[in-house]
Amino acid sequence: MIALLALILGIVIGILLEPSLPPALAPYLPIMIVAALDALFGALRAYLDGMFSDRVFATSFFSNVAIAAGIVFIGDQIGVGNQLSTAVVVVLGMRIFTNAAAIRRQVLHA
Amino acid sequence: MDLLNSIWRNPVDPDYAKNATAGPPRRQPAFLALAALAVGVLVAVQGSLSLRVAPNLEQERRDIVARLRAVEQTNDQLRAEQERVAAEVRGLQGAAGTGTQARIDEMEPVVGARPVVGPGLVFVVDDADQTKQGAARVADVDLRELANGLWQAGAEAVSINGHRVTSRTAIRGAGSAITVNYRSLTRPYKVEAIGDPKNLQARFAATSAGAWWQALRDNYGMRYEVSTSLQLKLAADPGLTVKYASPEP
Repeated sequence: MIALLALILGIVIGILLEPSLPPALAPYLPIMIVAALDALFGALRAYLDGMFSDRVFATSFFSNVAIAAGIVFIGDQIGVGNQLSTAVVVVLGMRIFTNAAAIRRQVLHA
Repeated sequence: MDLLNSIWRNPVDPDYAKNATAGPPRRQPAFLALAALAVGVLVAVQGSLSLRVAPNLEQERRDIVARLRAVEQTNDQLRAEQERVAAEVRGLQGAAGTGTQARIDEMEPVVGARPVVGPGLVFVVDDADQTKQGAARVADVDLRELANGLWQAGAEAVSINGHRVTSRTAIRGAGSAITVNYRSLTRPYKVEAIGDPKNLQARFAATSAGAWWQALRDNYGMRYEVSTSLQLKLAADPGLTVKYASPEP
């Protein structure tokens, strides 16, 4: 319940905040969202396995997002930003797919 | 492949398992709420960014295209106006019966200040098939070579896509487009040349420009077609004036 309220609050803050966002940050948002998705799927799978922990979720979420953005930022500075974002998307995408498949097996037993 | 294997085998953060063995999970909703808040912010910012920026870009593009068309139209109008006034000037000069009129009549077609008609060649050249990767495109140097080869072969008047080539013409590349007389061209490129229709083509083929274009066609697959025409009409170059130069007294 609190999580849902926080999510809605976050969406409102995001919509209000967006026009004042520095344009330099814009390229990092998609990669941060992919990292967030990875943490979300990991959390969902852990929840279905009965070992979900708020603290682990929060730390894995924030570290995922920060590391993904950081890697791409460093890549941009040394001129391989595109390639590094591809690498991040491939690795995180693989994890998302594996977790999604495991969740599907657990929920649908198929 | 160790990295890929470990991603494949341990897609869930191992800390979850470690925490679970340590004892029954304690609920800490504050952490969950914090992460949920961040998810909301991220998704909302990206979403409204995409919604806001995409229509703006499209609108800007349309504005620029419209402005470009308007400017080109004005340019064409001014050009037509200039040609009309030039014809008027010629009429007045003829009416005044100045002694230099015969000389003007003789010189103007040569330098490109008057429209000319006559037989000659029509070249149609174009980029190679762009569906293939790395397909060759016609460059400014190719058109320059073609025009120079035509002069060399004895052409008396040359125009490219309707722009008369004169002693003051620049054929150059500007970005991805080629400009002639400071007007950008659109493909395909049509080069018309007035000259002796019987031997202009053979003499052109013998020049280095003929070999150049033969090679472009054979090796790069560019379009290069030549045909003869008995009735070509080449427009004048309306930009043909001098500001600083004056005849020697």
